[in-house]
Amino acid sequence: MAPSLFSQLSTLGACLALLYGLLLLWRRNLGSYVDAFQGQSVVLAVLFGVVGYFGHDPELYFVATVFVALKVFLMPYYLRRMQDRFAVERERDPYLNVPASLILAGLLVILAYAVMRPVVTISSLPTRSGLPLALALVFIGLLVILTRKKAFTQVVGFLILENGITLLALLGTYGIPLIVELGVFLDALMGFLVMQIFIYQLHGTFESIDVDQLNQLRH
Amino acid sequence: MMSFLLEIGQGLLALALAPGLVGFVRWIKARLQARRGAVPWQPYFELAKLFGKDVVISSNASWLFRAAPYIIFGSTLAVACLVPTIFAPLPGDGVGDLLAVVYLLLLGTFFLALAGLDPGTAFGGMGSSREMTIAAIAEPTIALAIFGLALGAGSTNLGRIVTNTLANPILALSPGYLLAFAALFIVTLAETGRLPVDNPSTHLELTMIHEAMILEYSGRYLALIEWAAGLKLLIFFSLLANLFVPQGLATTLTPTSLLMAGFIFIGKLAFLGVVTAVLETRVAKLRLFRVPELLSVSFVLALLSVISSFLLR
Amino acid sequence: MSFLFLILPPITAALLAGLVRPYRSWVGRVNSLLSLIPIGASLVFIGGALTGGPAPTFGPDELLRADSLSALLMICVSAVAALGLFLGPTLGGEDPYRAAQLRRYQIFVNLFIAAMLLAVSANNVGVMWVSIEATTIFSALIIPLILTKTSVEASWKYILIGSTGIALAFAGTVLAYFDFVNLVGPVENALNWPVLMNSAPALHPEIIRVAFVFLLIGYGTKAGLAPMHTWLPDAHAEAPAPLSALMSGVLLAVAIYAMLRWKAVVDLLLGPAFTNQLLIMLGLLSMVIAAFSMVIQRNYKRMLAYSSIEHTGLICLGLGLGPMGIFAALYLLICHSTAKSMLFLLAGNIFHRYHSTQLSDISGLLKTMPVTGRLFAAGMLALIGLPPFGMFVAELALFRAGFSRQYIWLMVAVLVLLTVAFVSLVRHLNKILYGPIPKGISVGEPFGWRNALLFINLGILTMLGLTLPAPLLTLLNQVVGIVAK
Repeated sequence: MAPSLFSQLSTLGACLALLYGLLLLWRRNLGSYVDAFQGQSVVLAVLFGVVGYFGHDPELYFVATVFVALKVFLMPYYLRRMQDRFAVERERDPYLNVPASLILAGLLVILAYAVMRPVVTISSLPTRSGLPLALALVFIGLLVILTRKKAFTQVVGFLILENGITLLALLGTYGIPLIVELGVFLDALMGFLVMQIFIYQLHGTFESIDVDQLNQLRH
Repeated sequence: MMSFLLEIGQGLLALALAPGLVGFVRWIKARLQARRGAVPWQPYFELAKLFGKDVVISSNASWLFRAAPYIIFGSTLAVACLVPTIFAPLPGDGVGDLLAVVYLLLLGTFFLALAGLDPGTAFGGMGSSREMTIAAIAEPTIALAIFGLALGAGSTNLGRIVTNTLANPILALSPGYLLAFAALFIVTLAETGRLPVDNPSTHLELTMIHEAMILEYSGRYLALIEWAAGLKLLIFFSLLANLFVPQGLATTLTPTSLLMAGFIFIGKLAFLGVVTAVLETRVAKLRLFRVPELLSVSFVLALLSVISSFLLR
Repeated sequence: MSFLFLILPPITAALLAGLVRPYRSWVGRVNSLLSLIPIGASLVFIGGALTGGPAPTFGPDELLRADSLSALLMICVSAVAALGLFLGPTLGGEDPYRAAQLRRYQIFVNLFIAAMLLAVSANNVGVMWVSIEATTIFSALIIPLILTKTSVEASWKYILIGSTGIALAFAGTVLAYFDFVNLVGPVENALNWPVLMNSAPALHPEIIRVAFVFLLIGYGTKAGLAPMHTWLPDAHAEAPAPLSALMSGVLLAVAIYAMLRWKAVVDLLLGPAFTNQLLIMLGLLSMVIAAFSMVIQRNYKRMLAYSSIEHTGLICLGLGLGPMGIFAALYLLICHSTAKSMLFLLAGNIFHRYHSTQLSDISGLLKTMPVTGRLFAAGMLALIGLPPFGMFVAELALFRAGFSRQYIWLMVAVLVLLTVAFVSLVRHLNKILYGPIPKGISVGEPFGWRNALLFINLGILTMLGLTLPAPLLTLLNQVVGIVAK
C-alpha cells in the first residue's frame, strides 16, 4: 500500500522538524540554535498549510499566519538580539556530552514510538505516522532543558518543546479549537518575553548566563 | 556462471576506475582553489612509479606489515565485486549481502590499523588510535543505514534492495531513505579520509589519520594501499549512487545495456566527486574531539532511518 | 452575570494600577476594596450550589461554569487574595519598595488573581490551561521585585520548570482531545468538562492512561509534587511575603483543582485504581522529601515552603483514598490555604522587624512582637495538626479513609512523616519564640488593623476544628459526588 502524498509530506515535515531539534544537541554556538528554531518553525508553518489544504480546514491558514508572525519573525528577532549580547557564550561543556546526548536522543525517539503505539493504531488520519516524531521532539526539548548549561539554550529548548506539542496537536487532531490555539500562542509569547527579561536580569546579577552559577539556594 | 563472471568484471572495472576518481576529485579541488592542479589521471602515473620502486621495511616490522597490504587490497577488491556498480545483482545469486560488505570493509580497516601499529613508530600508533576512534562509530552506522533500506526491501541482499527501489521510485523520498542517505554520506567522508574528518593531502603529522598509518610503507606495498583507498572511495560512491538512485543500472545483461549503465555510472561518480570536492573546499577540518560528535549525528540519523522504516511498514 | 463580578474587579484593579503613573497609594486602597467584590460573587455561587439546580454558566459555548467544586475554590482564592491585597506592600507598610516596583507589583498581582479565578471557573479545558499558564507568567514577574542573586535564581527556576511542566500538561490535554475527537469528531465545545465526562466511558483506555500521566506530571509541577518540586522552596522563599502567601495558599490549590477535574474524567473510564495509585505514590514521595528537608532548614520561609510541599503531598495522597479520602483532602486544602497564607504574611512581619530570613537570627519573638508571635505560634500549631484547629480534624478524616481501605502500612508511614515534620517545626518554633532578643531589634508591637485581619484566619481555623458547619458539609459532599461518581 503506497502511502498517499499527504501522508508522505506530513511525515517528511515531522522528520525535518525533528532533525532541526537534533541540531540543538549537536551544535555549540548560540546562533545555530536560533537558526534551528527558525527553520523548524518554518517547517511547521508549511505543515499547517499542508494540513489545511488536504484536510479542508481554512482556519489553519489563519493559524499558520499567526504562527509565522510569532515564531519565524518575532521570537527569533528577540533571540538574535539576545544572542548578539551574549555572543561570547557557547555550550562548552554541557552536563551530558554531545555524542551521548545524540545517542540518548535516538533512544528517546524509540521511546516515543513505544508510547505512541496505541495512539497510532487507533487513529485513522493520514497524518498519524508523524505523531511519534512529534512526541520525540517533545522529549528532545526536555533533554535540552535538563542537560544544557546556558539559560539561552534552555529557553530555545523550551520553545522546541512547545513546537513539538503544537506539531502533536496538528498531526493528531488537525489543530485545536481556535480560541484555545490563540490563547496558547499568547501564552507562548508572554512566557517567552518573561524568560527573555529574566535572562537579561540573570546576566546583570551573575555576569553570565551559565545556569551552573545558580547555586546560591541550596536545600 | 555468467553473472559470476560479470561480477568479477564489475570489480575489475571498479579497480581500473578508482585512481581516476581520486585524481578527478583532486583536480576539481585544485580548480576550485584557483590552482592548475595535476591532470586527472595523475594517480595512474603515481601507482606505476610506486610499483617500480624498492621496498624499505623497518627492522621492527613483523609478517603482519608485509601481509597487510595484500589483505587490505584483497578485501576491498572483494567488496568492489559485491557492490552494484554496473548492473543489479540477480537476487538468486547468493552474493552481494550487506553484512558481508560491512565485515569485509571492517577487515580492511582492522588490518590497516594493525599495520600502523606494527613498526612501533609514534606516528603509526597515533594514526591507528585516531582511526579506531572514527571506525568505532562509523562502521555500525554503515550497517544501520543500509539496514534501514533493507527493512523496506525485506532482505539484506543488496540486489534485492536495488530492485525494490527500482520498483517503487517514490520510496526515494521517504524519510527512511533520506535519513539513510545523509548518514551514509557523512560516513563516506569519515571512512575515506576526506575533509572535514581527515585531510587527504596533509603533510603535517598532527592532522594525519590515514596518512599516519601508512607512513612507513613504500614501493609496491604503498601502491597497493593507495589503490585500495581509492577503491574504497569508489565503493562508497557507488553505494550512495546506486542504492538511492538506482535508475541507470542495467537490469538485463546485454552488451548495450551494460555499456549504457557504464556511462551512467561514470556520470554519477563524477557528480558525487564534484560534490565532495566542493564540500572539501568549503569546510575546514574538524578537531579530533569534534569528530565523534559529527559521527554521532550520522549514527542517530541512521538509527532514525531504521526506526522510521521499521515502524512505518 | 456574577461571573463578571468575579473576574472583572481584579482586571480593573490591574488596569487602574497600570494607568496611574507614578504609583499613588490610593490605588492600593481602591484595589484592596475591589478585591472584596469577588468574595461576594463567590458567596453567591456557593449559595447557588447549595440550593441545588444546574450550575450557572456564562459566555459563548458555556465558557465559564460554576459548580460546587469551582465555588469552593473561588471562595478560597478570593478570600486569600483579598487578605493578600489588604496586607500587601502597597498600603504603605514598612516595605522598602520604590513606587515603580509597587506599581509593577500591583498590576501583576491583580492579573495573577484574575487568572486564578478564571482557571477555576473555566468550563473549557483549554481555557483552564491557558489561565494556569498565565498565572505562572504573572507571578514570575513579581518574584524578583528586588533584584538579588537569590531572587533572580529563584524566578528563573520557577519560570523554566513551571512553563515546562505546564507544557507537558498541555501535551496530555492534546492527547485526551485527540481521543475524544477520534470518537466524536471535532465538535465546538469538545473541551468542556460536562461533555468530556459524558463521553469518558467510550474513550480508549491506553491513550487516556498516557494522557493522564502527562497531565499529572504537568499540573503536579505547578502543585509542587515531587519530583517536580525543586522550584517551590526557592520561589516561595524569595517572593515578597504577600505573594508567597498567595502562591502557597491558593496557587497550589488551583493546580490541585486541575488535577482533580481530570481525575474525575479519567476515573469514569479507567476506574479509580489507576489514578489513585499514581496520586498515592507521588503524594508519599513529596511527603518524604519535604519532611526530611524541613529538619535541616535554616531559612524560615523555606521551611514554610517545604511544609507546603508536604501538605500538597498529603492532599494528593488523600485524593487517592476514595470518596472519604477526597472529602478529607478537600478539608485539608481549605485549612492549609487559611493557615499557610496567614503564616506567610506573618513571616513578612517578622522579616521587617528582624531584617533576616535565617532562623538563627530570630529569637525572642514573643517579647519583641507579641501579637505576631502569638499568631505565628497558633498558625504553626494549626499547621502541624494540633487540635483545636481544623487540620487535626482533616488529618483524622484522612487516616480514617486510609484505614478503611486497608492501607495500614501507608497510614503508618504517613503518621511517621507527619511526626517528623511536627518535631522539626516545633523545634524551629521553639527556637524563634523564646530566647534572648537580638541586639538592635525594637521591642513591642502596636495592635493594628493588619494583625487584626489575621485573627479572621485563626478564627476560621478554630471553627473548622471545633465544628463542621452545615453549608460546608453539603458543599464538600456535593464536590465528592462530582469527582467520585
